[in-house]
Amino acid sequence: MQQTFETPATPRRSLLPNGEKRARLRRWRKVKDKLSQYGIAFAGISVVAAFATIFVYLFSEVGPIFSSASLEPEKQYASQSETPLLTNLERYSEVGMTLDAKGKLHFFSAADGNTIKDVNLAIPADRKIVSLAKGEPRSGIFALGLDNGQVLVAKHEYNLSYPDGKRQVLPMVTYPLGQEPLQLDAQQRPIQALAVQEGSTGTAIAVLTDDGRLSFNLFETETNLMTGESTFNRSEFALKDGPKTATHMLIDTTLHSLFIAEGNEKVHYFDIRSPGDARYVEAVNAVAAGQQVRQMEFLVGAVSLVIGGSDGSLGQWFLVRDEHNNFHLKHIRDFDKHPAAITQIEPEYSRKGFMAIDEQGHVGIHYGTSARTLLLEPMPGDIKPQRLAISPINTALLAFTQDGQVHRYTLENAHPDVSWKAMWNEVWYEGREHPDYIWQASSGSDEFEAKMSLVPLALGTLKAAVFAMMFATPLAVMSALYTAYFMTPKLRGKVKPTIEIMAALPTVILGFLAGLWLAPFIENYLSAVFAILVLLPVMMLIAAYLWRFVPEETRLRIGTGWEVAILIPVVIGFILLCVELSPLVDDTFFNGSLRQWLTDNGYSYDQRNALVVGIAMGFAVIPNIYSIAEDAVFNVPRHLTQGSLALGATPWQTMVGVVLPTASPGIFAAVMVGFGRAVGETMIVLMATGNSPVVNFNLFEGMRTLSANIAVELPETAVGSTHFRVLFLAALVLFVFTFIFNTLAEVIRQRLRQRFSNL
Amino acid sequence: MNPTQVPNSFTELNLADEKIKIEVNDLKLYYGESQALKTVNMHIPEKRVTAFIGPSGCGKSTLLRCFNRMNDLVDSCRIEGQIIMDGQNIYDRSVDVAELRRQVGMVFQKPNPFPKTIYENVAYGLRLQGVKDRRILDEVVETSLKGAALWNEVKDRLHDNAFGLSGGQQQRLVIARAIAIEPDVLLLDEPASALDPISTLKIEELICELKDRYTIVIVTHNMQQAARVSDYTAFMYMGNLVEFDATNKMFTNPSQQQTEDYITGRFG
Repeated sequence: MQQTFETPATPRRSLLPNGEKRARLRRWRKVKDKLSQYGIAFAGISVVAAFATIFVYLFSEVGPIFSSASLEPEKQYASQSETPLLTNLERYSEVGMTLDAKGKLHFFSAADGNTIKDVNLAIPADRKIVSLAKGEPRSGIFALGLDNGQVLVAKHEYNLSYPDGKRQVLPMVTYPLGQEPLQLDAQQRPIQALAVQEGSTGTAIAVLTDDGRLSFNLFETETNLMTGESTFNRSEFALKDGPKTATHMLIDTTLHSLFIAEGNEKVHYFDIRSPGDARYVEAVNAVAAGQQVRQMEFLVGAVSLVIGGSDGSLGQWFLVRDEHNNFHLKHIRDFDKHPAAITQIEPEYSRKGFMAIDEQGHVGIHYGTSARTLLLEPMPGDIKPQRLAISPINTALLAFTQDGQVHRYTLENAHPDVSWKAMWNEVWYEGREHPDYIWQASSGSDEFEAKMSLVPLALGTLKAAVFAMMFATPLAVMSALYTAYFMTPKLRGKVKPTIEIMAALPTVILGFLAGLWLAPFIENYLSAVFAILVLLPVMMLIAAYLWRFVPEETRLRIGTGWEVAILIPVVIGFILLCVELSPLVDDTFFNGSLRQWLTDNGYSYDQRNALVVGIAMGFAVIPNIYSIAEDAVFNVPRHLTQGSLALGATPWQTMVGVVLPTASPGIFAAVMVGFGRAVGETMIVLMATGNSPVVNFNLFEGMRTLSANIAVELPETAVGSTHFRVLFLAALVLFVFTFIFNTLAEVIRQRLRQRFSNL
Repeated sequence: MNPTQVPNSFTELNLADEKIKIEVNDLKLYYGESQALKTVNMHIPEKRVTAFIGPSGCGKSTLLRCFNRMNDLVDSCRIEGQIIMDGQNIYDRSVDVAELRRQVGMVFQKPNPFPKTIYENVAYGLRLQGVKDRRILDEVVETSLKGAALWNEVKDRLHDNAFGLSGGQQQRLVIARAIAIEPDVLLLDEPASALDPISTLKIEELICELKDRYTIVIVTHNMQQAARVSDYTAFMYMGNLVEFDATNKMFTNPSQQQTEDYITGRFG
């Protein structure tokens, strides 16, 4: 309002400032009002915006792990070899390779198809290649079986050099077992199928002749120390009981197992650990009855088999140890079915994924651990690929079509290795006996299968919080009730700030004490700790009872509300007594050590366990719970307690009947806030839990929490990797946890406020 | 006016026809260093309404709270003298305060129902006495609410929260809660001061009904109220009992100058 009120002329002189001055003051006040209005609005919106930005950032980091793969056609050029037997694309996607039926290795520029190099393998002119086997893709080893029982083993390798600071990739072919074909079948029968693999003991080749004889050949390399020349020592073992026909054969990189696809629905498994007495173990039906196994390949690491069927099915299999320590080939999971028979399975080089194509020209991108199918569609560009060659770093692929064309695609498939389902369900990891929840995100090797189940972390978080709350809640709530309701105001004035100042104690110090002092102490004085936890309250009750027999004069001198001070020496004395007696108790009842006794009786005991965390983190959350609960109890209106007392209630009855119900929402909110704090707590759990991601609620075992996991692993993970993004997801999950508990607490606090508004 | 000159005992009042419920002998009360009650002597007759009037801070509420030892809750409070109820000094060591408070019910200035249902509010005192039988509880709740003239208004919503009641209803609920445990004495500390005139009227009617069964002591600022409901009136001033007499006499012909000044509104 712009009106000004002139002071009416009155006989009395006004002491107020004159009209002009007051108008100026009003304007100035208006300016200040506006300034503060906009200033506060700006600050408030900024806070919300900052919060939203954090969210957007978190989601943008997490989002890509749930996206699927995409293929973009890039270019196309004519191929030099029609119907290649083997194709490859090298690490930098610069050099492509084909192997034709005549044994010519053709290296070409993957960018434009220009020939870089042609290498003719030493195949005798009158011989035909009748079978082919690939080893571990990273080694580049392959073997050709000829129609006279000969086998030629070669490797394609790529040398990197940087002339003039520019990268140059030089393809080359090496012959680990000599340039000439090896006569593996003395009877010179055609090789029906073969398998090749390099292991630590040498190069293994398994061959099946067309008349059904199966043999296993191990070439051990011996290097002459004087001349540096290598010689091969061949040992041949005939394998019995196997199938007479085969389409695919595979040997794993440890040279322990041989898998043979018979051509029907069966896959056979040989245990060749000691080739001298190799054992035929079993045959499994790898595809549906009446269908045939069309393709069989190892995923990287040569542990998992991916088997593609004539019906387009794709399944993952690996060896699982049974209770008698024997291995059996087990079906682990299926992938989305292709609409037609699988014609090629191409495993990725550095993770457990693979691509598959089928007769109708669909391309599928699948991933083992997460059981995801990231893409399954007709090849973009409307072509029917005959063979694929994929880049080891999953950025490009070459598709070779029947009409002699090479199509180059760029591939976008950054995070196939996790799925929401795999993170929260049991997953059957390679080498495990059964599906399990495991967090083990990184290792030194490419073959490592990252195990990223959030269940152990989420449960560990809850476990730590629950044990901390079991310790903190009774202590904090009881002391809040006592200080707010029974304690004399003078003592309360000292006790409350003291407990609240505990919240200022850096948690790193609590964690340090818990890890380096409390954990060993509990281990050594376990019986004392239990005695204190269980018997101390009983002791207090006894002390309170004995207090009645203290002469009245003394009691009056100390006064009501001060009795608690008398308890301090009792508590300290009892704790010391328990610690002193602990060795005696251990000697008498537990053969000298309760910790050892527990281990002997089948309870595993870690030094850093839930008990230590419960106590240490309990101390950290007590001030939070106490402070809010104390306020809630103290703010119960006096007239309610007086009303109850005036009805003939004892203070205890008033406490239980009126104070507790009235303050209960506040106490509940306090507990929730404490829980939220315990869930998000990092330093204490980091230092005192042992950080082993186990899935149990054992009091004597540790845990790894979401927060500690992020603290431990985030500095060491590659930015933008799946692991990195999963850690951000863990942060989101943690946020959801604390958000739920804090919201619950806040909602209840609001209701409490409403409830007391009409008191 | 010099308060020390005010006499503390009365010979004028003849209570020979009445049975004495509470006898106050030389009661002195201190809050820390300051003395709030200065040698009070009085006899409160049984099954009558006794009103305490006086200006704010005169000690009438303090005296009332001595009858059920609510002053014990104040840390710095110290008491000398005796209050004898039914031949027993209530400040004796052997007295169970909780049992005393059951016998001497109290209603406060501000309605203070518990955050419970209407039913549970009334049953609260019984539960404290260990009554668990549902039928007994039901019966007592009904008779108490009827006794407090609230039954008809709440009988259909006994299990609603007591905060849903109006201020006057809440105050009658509190009275019902007090009479549910069968006290002998009811202390009313300005029971109607926070209520509107209609609710006040209802409370006053209720007091008249209750005085057949209970000894009622009421503190009030409202002199018309004292005149309407009480049989005897005590006027207090600065910790002294100035005059204690039958209400009719007090309001028509007070024997003390101070009383007359106060009643006629010359001070206070």
